[in-house]
Amino acid sequence: MKTIEVPAMARVEGEGGLYIGLQSGEAVEIRLDIYEPPRFFEGFLRGRFLQEVPDITARICGICPVAYQMSSALALENALGVSVSAEVRALRRLMYCGEYIESHALHMYMLQAPDLFGKESAFELAEMEPETVKKALRLKKIGNELLKAIGGRSVHPVNVCVGGFYSWPDGTVLKAMLPELTWGLEAAMQAVKWSTTLHYPKLEINYEFVALHEEKEYGLMGSEVWSSRGRKLAIRDYEKTYIEEHVRHSNALHSHTVDGGTYLVGPLARLNLNHDQLAPIAKQALKEAGIKLPLKNPYKSFIARAVELVQFFKEAIDIVQAYAPAGPAHMELDLKAGEGCGASEAPRGTLYHRYQIDDHGLIQSAKIVPPTAQNLPRIEADLFAMAPALVVMPEAAATRQAEDLVRAYDPCISCATHFLKLKMEERDSSCK
Amino acid sequence: MRGDDAAGLEAVRLWQRKHARTAGRTDVRAAIVEEPGLELLDLLDGVDAAILVDAVCSGAAAGTLHQIDLNELSDFREGPASAHSWGVVEVLRLGGALHLQSAQRAIRLLGIEAEQMEIGAGLSDPVAGALPAACNAIENEVTALLQG
Repeated sequence: MKTIEVPAMARVEGEGGLYIGLQSGEAVEIRLDIYEPPRFFEGFLRGRFLQEVPDITARICGICPVAYQMSSALALENALGVSVSAEVRALRRLMYCGEYIESHALHMYMLQAPDLFGKESAFELAEMEPETVKKALRLKKIGNELLKAIGGRSVHPVNVCVGGFYSWPDGTVLKAMLPELTWGLEAAMQAVKWSTTLHYPKLEINYEFVALHEEKEYGLMGSEVWSSRGRKLAIRDYEKTYIEEHVRHSNALHSHTVDGGTYLVGPLARLNLNHDQLAPIAKQALKEAGIKLPLKNPYKSFIARAVELVQFFKEAIDIVQAYAPAGPAHMELDLKAGEGCGASEAPRGTLYHRYQIDDHGLIQSAKIVPPTAQNLPRIEADLFAMAPALVVMPEAAATRQAEDLVRAYDPCISCATHFLKLKMEERDSSCK
Repeated sequence: MRGDDAAGLEAVRLWQRKHARTAGRTDVRAAIVEEPGLELLDLLDGVDAAILVDAVCSGAAAGTLHQIDLNELSDFREGPASAHSWGVVEVLRLGGALHLQSAQRAIRLLGIEAEQMEIGAGLSDPVAGALPAACNAIENEVTALLQG
């Protein structure tokens, strides 16, 4: 049996390996071995006060902390029946813009672009295309600065709370960012055009795309979950349709639809489902670059990320220009026992949280479903789809193409391993 | 923090307390950054020289202090192969590949050899015991740079 094995994937966040077993021209086994240690967040959140949850869950990921803060805040606000003000909603979107900008810039240019240029690393890409990588660093810096201006720091920001923000960010600091945001918007428009000139491996899959949907804005913190198979759910029904399970080779749970199928969350899903809600300038970027939707090639999530960069730079400019906070930065909370769920779109896809709290606001149970865990079965399925092509390639090329596919998903393995079901069984003394 | 991964932070904080006069100079800036990653290049922008203080893994005994120049970094293992958490070695290498001025500064590294980096753990005994020497080393390095 021919095997393709990558014991430790490079240029992905967290630790995981890849194993593909091929026999007689067919894949007989494909595993994404997620050996990043389980992290037990859902366990140690129990007993914590609800206002600690955004800061604790932010530590699940250093790249998408805002996503965890927002999903947890939305879920806990749902439990308490709290609605935040329009100003808080706008500031949350602005904070998300910062996260998308830094995450997408990092992934596109430093993680996936080396693959698309046939380079082993971002270092090689930097030597070949220094101005491209310098642009990436400048884009990422803008995203980080936006997070810092709103959240106090870019890694694990500290200003988000259940009910809003601890304090309004300084408007002078935000407005001083407008020149860089304007530069970033133009750079993003160019990135969309550039993204269509790159060579992508051929792979077209009829995915079930899943993403949050909002009628009037590009879906980030919507109230509905849409799927390309026609499902439209309220967030409270998420777990009835998208179901987690434990698989032997992974410290991350895998997700399937209620009818046993795989599904895809992330930039391809968002763009394909929500392109009508894009800002006019992002629609213009799509049109000028000649991009036809739906995009069904997982490698072309690169293009989707470029379009989202345009979207979020534009939103950031609009929100900063209009920023004039009034009223309290957060709602007062009346604690009561209850259960709530919430979801937001992390850069990698839908991130769902559910919490039960007691009447002191202490967490009784927590459930966190990260996007990468939901995509893991889909990644393995994509590799099965690619297997006939891999079989006829030289082993090095086949290994590289399989790795490139996993990287195109921008998996966040540290996020995916937040939870493991642990069963302890006492054996009698006769067992060896 | 993750065990001895906090060694650099704790060493700099101790130096700021013990050598407040030097630390408080207007021409000296101490930035305590938990995961600078690519931001390190921005932090180095506009400075004449820098001392990076961080936990290292080279196989030496835990608590060993390494005071080295940038070009001696090949002795140290690189961090995880992911730009999500690039270490000093990788970031400075990228800066060099891009010919960024920030990566060309006089950079000294003070590495404190780690024993463990367990989630939720504090500093190991050898590393905690090395902090006073690390503090003095920082003061000596800063003084030498100011005099140079």
